[in-house]
Amino acid sequence: MKSVGRLLRYKDVYDIDGSEELFIDAMRENCKFQYDNSEDYRKILDGMNFNPDNIKSMEDVTNIPFLPTLFFKTHRISSYKNTKHLYKATSSGTQGKFSEIGFDIGSLWSAMIMSLRILRHWKIISPIPCNYIVFGYQPKKSNRTAVSKTAFLTTLLAPALHRTYALKYINGKYEPDLEAVFEAVKRYSKKKAPVRFMGFPSYTFFVMQMMEERGVSVKLPKNSKIMLAGGWKQFYKEAVEKDVFYSLAKKTLGIEEENIVEYYGAVEHPILYTDCPNHHFHVPIYSRVVIRDVNTFKPLPNGQMGLVNLITPLFKATPLLSVMPDDLGILHDGCECGCGIKSPYLEIIGRVGLKDIKTCAAGASDLLDKSNLSKVIQGGEK
Amino acid sequence: MILANGIVYETDAQNELLSGLPEKLNKTLNAKPLDSEIVINAFDNLGQRIAQGEFSDLISSIEMSGKDEYIDLAVRMMSRKYLEYKLKVELGDSKTDLFKDNRITCGRVPLGVLFHIAAGNMDALPVVSIAEGLLAGNINILKLPSVDNGLTVKAMEILIEFEPRLKDYIYIFDTPSSDVVAMKKMADMADGIVVWGGDEAVAAVRSLAKPGTRLIEWGHKLGFMYISGFENKEQELKDLAEHIMVTKQLLCSSCQVIYINTESFDEVKEFAKEFVDYLNAAAAKYPVDEIGAIAEISIKRRVALYDELIGGDLSSKDEAVFYGDNISVTASPDSELELSYMFGNVYVKPLPRRDIMSVLRAKKEYLQTAGLICSPELRDELAAEILRTGVERVTRAGNMSFYFDGESHDGEFPLLRYTRIINIEK
Repeated sequence: MKSVGRLLRYKDVYDIDGSEELFIDAMRENCKFQYDNSEDYRKILDGMNFNPDNIKSMEDVTNIPFLPTLFFKTHRISSYKNTKHLYKATSSGTQGKFSEIGFDIGSLWSAMIMSLRILRHWKIISPIPCNYIVFGYQPKKSNRTAVSKTAFLTTLLAPALHRTYALKYINGKYEPDLEAVFEAVKRYSKKKAPVRFMGFPSYTFFVMQMMEERGVSVKLPKNSKIMLAGGWKQFYKEAVEKDVFYSLAKKTLGIEEENIVEYYGAVEHPILYTDCPNHHFHVPIYSRVVIRDVNTFKPLPNGQMGLVNLITPLFKATPLLSVMPDDLGILHDGCECGCGIKSPYLEIIGRVGLKDIKTCAAGASDLLDKSNLSKVIQGGEK
Repeated sequence: MILANGIVYETDAQNELLSGLPEKLNKTLNAKPLDSEIVINAFDNLGQRIAQGEFSDLISSIEMSGKDEYIDLAVRMMSRKYLEYKLKVELGDSKTDLFKDNRITCGRVPLGVLFHIAAGNMDALPVVSIAEGLLAGNINILKLPSVDNGLTVKAMEILIEFEPRLKDYIYIFDTPSSDVVAMKKMADMADGIVVWGGDEAVAAVRSLAKPGTRLIEWGHKLGFMYISGFENKEQELKDLAEHIMVTKQLLCSSCQVIYINTESFDEVKEFAKEFVDYLNAAAAKYPVDEIGAIAEISIKRRVALYDELIGGDLSSKDEAVFYGDNISVTASPDSELELSYMFGNVYVKPLPRRDIMSVLRAKKEYLQTAGLICSPELRDELAAEILRTGVERVTRAGNMSFYFDGESHDGEFPLLRYTRIINIEK
C-alpha cells in the first residue's frame, strides 16, 4: 500500500485535484488487497462484474461496489485471517444491530497521521492545558462504542487538567448527569485554563438551555472551544438549527461561533471531517464523496440530494474502501463556501427511512423495520 | 393521552384507570343495551361536521396524497345511509330475534367488551374500528397505534360531546405495545380482541389472550393483479399504474405483483418494459415524496443482492429491473406472491393459468384482493378460479383498493364477529 503512504505525506489536506492520481492508485491497491484477501468481498466484486485491476480513473473508483452500513450490521467481514489482533470498534446501533469493524495497527497508524494532519491544519492541537467536559461515556472496558473512544481520545489533543463526564454509568446503564455538568461549567469558568466541550451536540444544547432557563451565564476563559462530535443526527433539519446553537453558546458560555468546531466520522468511514469557519465539512484528500440516486444508485451532480457514499483507501483489515451510511446528503462545490478551500463540502440532510410508515401490506414491517422510529437522544450512532 | 368516560387524562393515569375499569365495565354491561340508532345518529353528525370543514385544522395535520378522497370516504363511512346499510347487510333481521318457537327464543346480542389493537396504517382506522364495535353494541377499549397523531381521541371526544350516552362505551389508551402488563389487563377484561396488524402483532395477541377469548384478526395481506389478455389495454394499464402510485402499494389491497398468464419469461420481461412507461406517467401525476423510505428500500435491496452473491443463491440474478423516474418494474422468473419494495416498485411474474391454485395456496393466509384484467369472455371463469384459492375480492384494474358499500372485510362481516347468539328457554 505504497500510495497510501504517499497520500498521507501529501501536504495540502484539502487539495483534492492535486492528490487525485495518488488517491486512484491507493484505491486500486486497496481494492486488490481486499479482493485477494476477503472471500466474501471477492464474491461481491465478481458478482457485480468489477475487476480491481481496471481502476484507472475517478470514474472507476466511483464504480467500485459500495457496502452499506446495513451490510456491516449483518455481516462480519474481514481481510485479515487472524482477527484476534485487530482493534474492534462498534457503532452504537439501535435494536441490537451494530457494526463491528476490525482495524489493523497499520491502518490505525494511518488514521492517526491523517487526524493529526487535519487537526494541525485547523490548529486544534494545542500545548495549553485545558479542562474538559466530555459529553460521552466514561471509558469502560465493556464499552467499545467508537464514540466514547473518540471522545476520550480527543481530550488528549491538548493536555487535560480535569475531565467531567456527562454520561455516568449508573446501575448498569449510562445516564446523563447534566447537573454535574452545570456545576463543572460554573467551577471551570472561574479558572484560567480554557475549557473544551467534547461530544454529542444535543447534550451541550441541553446544558446551555438549562443555563438559560435558570438565568445563569458565564464567560469561559479565552480559547475555550465547543467540539461537537458523535454524529450529526441531532442537527437534522427538524432538530436544533445551528444558528440557535451558536447564539445560545455565546449567551450562556461566552463562546464565539469561531470556537465551535464540529467533527464528523463514521465507524465505517473513520476519516476526520472538520468544519471550516463557515461550518462546512470539506472533503479531505483521504476521502471522496459520491452522492447517489436513491433508486438507481447512479451518481448525482453536485447540489442534488441523495444517498451518501464515502470512499477511502486508508483501511486494510476490513473492506471499508467504499461504504454507504444511512445518510442522505448533498455535495456542494467548494467554491460555494467562500472559506477559500476548493474541495467540495458535504451537507447531511437526514437519515434514510420513513418516520411513521403506514402500511398494511404483509411483511412490510420486516422490510421497513422501525429502527428509525426510536429517536434516542443519547444516540451517537456514528 | 387517555380517554375514559368522556374525560381526557394524561398517560400516567393509565394504571389507576385500569384498576378501576372492571367495575365500571360491569356496571355498563348491566345497564340497558346500547341502541344502534344512538350510534348511527352520533356518527352521522360527526361525519357531516367533518364534511362541512369544522375540523379542517385537525385534519390538515394528516400528511398524505389523495387526502380529499380519503376524507370523502371517511365521511361516507360515517353517514347514516352507510351505517344503516352495513347493519342490514351484516346482521340482517337477526339483530333482534333470530327465531322464536313456543319454547326457545333465539337472538343476537353484543359480544360485550371489545379490546381493539389498532394498526397505524390508516389515520382513521382506530375510529372505524370503534365505530364498528359500537354499532354492534359493545363497550370498546382501544389501544392506540404508536404513530397516532391525536386524531382518534379528539374525534371520540367530539362524538361523546354530541352524544354523552356513548361515554361509558369508549375507552382509549395510548399504552405502548411493550407495556405487556397493561395490555394483558385490557385483554383480560375483553370478550373479544380485535387486532389489526402484521403477523407479529397477531402472534403477540394470540399469546396474550386467554383461551376462550374471541380473537378477531384483521391481518396484513398481499394484493396482486392477474392479466390474461385485455379488454381495453391502454386504459386498463393506466388504471393499474395509477392504483399502484395512489396507494403507493402500502395497503392490504394494493398490487404487489402483476401476474401474466404465460410460461415465457421473455413475455414477462416485455410486459415489464412496457409497463414502466405507464408507471412513469402515473408517478408524474402522483409522485412519491418519501425519499427516505425509497433510499432505505434501495439499500436493503442492495444488501439482499450481496447476501445472494456471498451465499451463492443467485435467484435474483435472473431478475430484470426496468427503472423509471423513482419507480421500477422488476421482471422475475419465479411465481411467488411476495411483498414488493412498494412506493412504485412492482414485480411482474409469470403465472400460467393451470398453476394459479398451487401458487396462491402457498400464501393462503395473505390472500385478500386480486385485480383481474382479461378478455370479457374469460372474466367469470377466471374470477371463480381465483376466488377458489382463498381470495376474497376480485376487482377491475383500478379498483383494487376501492371500498364497496356492503363489502366484507377479509371475507367476513365484522358485525357478525362482534356479536353473539343467545338462546332462552321459557
